[in-house]
This record gives sequence, C-alpha cells and structure tokens, in this order.
Amino acid sequence: MLEFLQIARETAQARRGLLDEFSEAYKALSIAVGYQGYIALEKELIATERDLEIVTGSRNVAGARVPSFELKGVERAIRGYNLVDTSSWLDQTAQRAEKCLEAVVMLAELQSGLELLGREINRTKRITNALEYLIIPSLQATIKYLYMKFEERDREEKSRLKRVKVLLEQR
Amino acid sequence: MPNESPYQRMLQECLRGELRVLNAHLPFEQKLLSDLLGEEYPNVVCNDGSTHLFKRKELEYLASMLDTDEQEALLLPMLIEVNPGQGEVAVICRGKAEEKVISKILDMPVTTKQERIMLYKPQLALIRKPLKTTTQYLFTPKSPD
Repeated sequence: MLEFLQIARETAQARRGLLDEFSEAYKALSIAVGYQGYIALEKELIATERDLEIVTGSRNVAGARVPSFELKGVERAIRGYNLVDTSSWLDQTAQRAEKCLEAVVMLAELQSGLELLGREINRTKRITNALEYLIIPSLQATIKYLYMKFEERDREEKSRLKRVKVLLEQR
Repeated sequence: MPNESPYQRMLQECLRGELRVLNAHLPFEQKLLSDLLGEEYPNVVCNDGSTHLFKRKELEYLASMLDTDEQEALLLPMLIEVNPGQGEVAVICRGKAEEKVISKILDMPVTTKQERIMLYKPQLALIRKPLKTTTQYLFTPKSPD
C-alpha cells in the first residue's frame, strides 16, 4: 500500500513535469521556426532521425511484477544538424525534446506500475474479504457443529453405559 | 520444538510455504556494484527463475556516493526486511557501504545493529524513491529484536 501511494504521488508529479517539458519544448520550437522558417528547419532536421533503444525488464513489488523501462543514450552532443546555420533555440528545442522522451518513458513505467499494483491490491482485498466474511465464519460454524455433535455423542454414550449398568445390576 | 502439537506444526509448515512463495522474487545470489557497472544489461536471476533488471542510472547514482573499495563491497539488490510489526523495517547491512548509502540518502547518521539498519516507514519511502530496482523487499514472520 505504501509503495502504491508513493507510485501514485510520483505519477502525478511525472505527469505535471511532462506537461511542463512539452510546453517548454513547443515554445522553443516555435521560436526556432520563427527565426529560421519552417521549410529551412525541416531541411535541417531531416538528417537527425535516429532509432531509440529502450531497455525493458521487470521488478517485483511485494509479489506483483511491475515493468521497468530505461531509455538508453538519448542525450547527444552532436545531433546531426548544422550548428552554423541554426539558432541556439533549436539546440534548446532538441534538449527539451530529449527530456520529454525521458519523461514519457518514465511516466509509462510509473503508470503501468500503478495500474498493476492497484489490480493486485484489489485482488488481495477480495481474498482477505472472502477469508474474513465467508471462509473463516463458515469454518467456525462447522467447528461449532462438530463440537456439538461430539458432545451429543458423548452424552449418548454416557447414558447408554448407565442404562447397561442398571440392566446388569437388575440381573 | 518438542512440545508442539500436530496442529501447530501443520500451521507452521503452511506459513513456511506461504513465506517461501512470498519471497520467491528474491535474488538467487546478490552481485557486487562494481561487477554490475561492467555489465551491458545489469541483472540478477531470482529464485523463481525470473530476471531482475537494474537501472543503470541507479547504479551510477550509487557509484557516485561510494569510493572504489566500497563499490567492490556493496551487494545488490539491497534487501529490506519487512515484518508484521507496524512501525519499522530493516535494511540488511553486511558492511559500511550500505550504511553510507542509507545515511547519505536520508541525510542523517544511521547505526547498524545485528547487521540491520532500522528504519521507519516514512524513511523507507525516501530510500525506495531513488533506489527502485536496487532494493528488494524480504518478508519475515517476526521482528528482528
């Protein structure tokens, strides 16, 4: 539960951070477009496309397997566009976009973890409720019934023995 | 114990089985931080056969706190012992490296008692936040007094 609450807090924080990063990135991009023009910027950025590597794995939180993602080598010193012909706003845009990517991956990890942990907590709660309100009371009722039955049998046995004793004495 | 009734023995056996299932995610063997830093995809194999992956950022964060000798002494994942008592948890600590890491994250001195660093649950949240993959929970039935 402690872990769940912590992940929930972190998710909310990460979401806010992501929105801020995106808004900053778009702001920087629009200024860069204003400086250079859309077509010139697109021409510069055409060679900067690249594949990203995400390392995926899982970790265990109190029995629930939660995914773990890590973005590899997202920040680069040379990004592929001409540094002479472009403004520093483009560098800022690229930096912000890289941070956005990291934030997206982190949010994905946190959100899926939150969902899985929530599901696990619900499942455990259902099990404990079933144990508390259904299985344990029914077992207790069975124990009580058996206890009464054994006592009854014991009493019957005693009275039978007494009866036999009386009969034997009469002979 | 010799005076145990068969019912108690059966109950203990059941609990032992449950704890084994609950702790199936624990690593088969811990690895040194210095070894993990050299691996491309740092991971350990768990008792249930699954793989536990470490985040490189966390390993680098730990490495930034420790010198080379301590990196060669720190076993990962660090185990956090959780018991049914409400108040405290314990970090299993075999050397000075664990103590240093915990005290640096909490920004306060900590003491080791019987190879354990006792922490309150709010402090646990502070530890787990930067060390998600480098710490793991270990469930025990009784408190480590």
